[in-house]
Amino acid sequence: MLVRILVLLYLAGAPALAQTLCQPNASNGCRVRISIKTALGNQAYEWNENEMFLFRATMAFAMRRYYKTETYNVDNIIMCNQTLRVSFWFVVTSPENSTMLIPKADVEKAVRMSRHRINNAFLLTDRTLEFLGIHPTLAAPVNPDTPPWLIVFGVVIGAVFAGIIALLVSSLLQKRRKEKGMMEDGQDEEDRQMKGVENDNVLDGIYNRGFTDDDRFTKL
Amino acid sequence: MGKDAARAEWDNPMQFVLACVSYAVGLGNVWRFPYLCQMHGGGGFLIPYLLMLVLLGVPLFYMELAIGQKMRLGSIGAWRAISPYLGGVGLASVVTSMYLCLYYNVINAWSFWYLFHSFQSVLPWAECPVNSNLTGHVEECERATPTQYFFYRETLDISGSIEENGGIHMGQALCLLLAWMIVYLFIVKGVKSTGKVVYFTATFPYLVLIIYLIRGVTLHGAINGVKYMFTPKMEQLANPTTWINAATQIFFSLGLGFGSLIAFASYNQYNNNFEKQAIVVSMVNSSTSIFASIVTFSIYGFKATFNYESCLERVRLLLLNTFDLAEDTISLENVNHWIAELNRTHPEQFASLGGRLETCDLEAELDTAVEGTGLAFIVYSEAIKNMPVSQLWSVLYFIMLLLLGMGSMLGNVIAVITPLSDLKFISRYMSTKTLNGLVCLFCLLLGLGFTTRSGNYWFTMFNDYGATFSLLFIVLIEVITVCYIYGIKRFEKDVEDMLGHRLNWYWKIMLAGVSPILLITLFIFYIVNYIQGGTPTYQAWNKELGKSVVTEYPPYAQAFIGLLLASSVCCIPLTALYTYCKKRNLASGKRERTVSTVSA
Repeated sequence: MLVRILVLLYLAGAPALAQTLCQPNASNGCRVRISIKTALGNQAYEWNENEMFLFRATMAFAMRRYYKTETYNVDNIIMCNQTLRVSFWFVVTSPENSTMLIPKADVEKAVRMSRHRINNAFLLTDRTLEFLGIHPTLAAPVNPDTPPWLIVFGVVIGAVFAGIIALLVSSLLQKRRKEKGMMEDGQDEEDRQMKGVENDNVLDGIYNRGFTDDDRFTKL
Repeated sequence: MGKDAARAEWDNPMQFVLACVSYAVGLGNVWRFPYLCQMHGGGGFLIPYLLMLVLLGVPLFYMELAIGQKMRLGSIGAWRAISPYLGGVGLASVVTSMYLCLYYNVINAWSFWYLFHSFQSVLPWAECPVNSNLTGHVEECERATPTQYFFYRETLDISGSIEENGGIHMGQALCLLLAWMIVYLFIVKGVKSTGKVVYFTATFPYLVLIIYLIRGVTLHGAINGVKYMFTPKMEQLANPTTWINAATQIFFSLGLGFGSLIAFASYNQYNNNFEKQAIVVSMVNSSTSIFASIVTFSIYGFKATFNYESCLERVRLLLLNTFDLAEDTISLENVNHWIAELNRTHPEQFASLGGRLETCDLEAELDTAVEGTGLAFIVYSEAIKNMPVSQLWSVLYFIMLLLLGMGSMLGNVIAVITPLSDLKFISRYMSTKTLNGLVCLFCLLLGLGFTTRSGNYWFTMFNDYGATFSLLFIVLIEVITVCYIYGIKRFEKDVEDMLGHRLNWYWKIMLAGVSPILLITLFIFYIVNYIQGGTPTYQAWNKELGKSVVTEYPPYAQAFIGLLLASSVCCIPLTALYTYCKKRNLASGKRERTVSTVSA
């Protein structure tokens, strides 16, 4: 009889005990904020008891994975203070002793380890499934051996350099050909300009437009 | 006159027109005119702008082309031919162009840097980089914005003030080398190569502007920007600064006084109809400014709307999280309604929000007017990163900036090289190719100073003081020389000789009367403004605060500013003095010789 009364009291008191364990701003409690509509828009699902159950199951999974043990269960995750925002607090109790809470630091580490799996279970991201106090791990920057900009730069400067060399060599070859052939210098303006200015005595006198070589003005 | 036969020429008049367009249409059309439009009353600014174009811009442009085409020499030779005592005007132009060459190509180097960094899956200025222990973002980036961080830290690696020098930024130095190599490639064969290049540099920016116009006006919120820009605020017309800025913008946008126009025109055929071309190029330049400002403002509007809506989103989230309301109770439209509601129903909780609650104001976002490098590299790249397929738009945009900048660089470099190659003692010893190469190498080596950690501050100094005052002075002397010392009658005869018809009354009145008066007014205003402005200041980037702070120049920097201004302006009186002394020595020398022969 006494045992039955004690069992009844225990069963009545357990949820109450659980409630005292889970409180907002508890030292070992974590706050979670979920933004389903932001993440999924039209395909947003409703947050109900089933989703809560899934959350507890996922958290138990995370604890199992972290401690590499199979002792954690859904009962070890206690949630409270749910709001319309969809935010709530939760605490994790130890499987051996249901009155003892797992420290927040360990819970955080467990969450960090399985964050990707937890997000995917709810089709959410780090930003829409927030564990307040646990910052999302930022992706490590990808550092390629050669920065990509250097590759593009190398290509462009190679092309420009080739262009300059081509222009210089071509004008050098033209000059050499002219010197060899002693042709009428009607094509290379550059050449004429140099010669004209270097040898002052070539251009003495007044230039008479009547004797203009009009072929000079036709395009090469 | 004998030099006609030897001088290189443009293949056809079209190349000359495109070269002038390519030179005049530059970065100022994209980043200075929209800013002025916004500052001085939107659509109303067009009135002083177009008026100044007609009164000041076109006549002076016409005059420079006429001088170049008539004298067929670069600026030094041309001014010496007009008036031997005022040959210093040409020299002053060359010195100013040299300063411009030194710092202008640094902008092209930055454009290259941004262009090469656009070939990545995520644009580097879209997000803050993570810090070394992967816990969060770099603090400097958190305090500023990612685009500012990328510009000030990764592109420039800027120091805290002009006094703190540092090493050369290797990436910048490489990009500057590339920029100068491209300039050399374009000018290596003189006008023959330049003439072909300007077909591309003059026309392709328009293609990109049209593509951007279509993209810009279809962006969400672009209409806010365009409406904001074109709403005329007529009361700004009463402000004299509006008229002064309009005149200055026309003046610098057309590139008067640098000697580039004289150099370009010197390669023309003697009878080229430059009158029509002068009007065409000026009109094209101004319409490009207006066109570019429509593009700029639609992108402004997009950025402002984006920031405004992001602000509203942050406020919405803050309210939802603080008051634990369901997600769909507050939407972006009724945020402000809910703020009032919650303030009424939960005043203490609302008060606890304190400073975290931002006020979101679209007008304030549009009001943040920026000009210059800030607009091009910070504001624009911020807008681009939010566009879909941002890499494509980024590449297009920076290619456009490069073409605009390169086109103007061509004019600047030719303004320096043409007078130098006309000088006998230089052309006797080296070919044009070697001279071009030496000038480019010299400018590259000095320009490396702008790639140091404090280089941006020196760049700003050159940009603000290197050309503004000296140009006004140079062009003022130019107009007075041509109209009163050379004589408007002689000028008329020269033009008639070239074009076949006399000077119109419009040109005569503008050149001889209106333009000199306007220039003198501008000049006096500049001096008064400079004196009233007190100690010159600059914007120094403070990495702790993550923003720019106004700092005074140290004394040696102020002395350098004075040196910049004096070095080009002093050429004019010094050359006049030198010519006077030389003539006196020659005259007295002749007298001595004649005396000796008589006595002997």
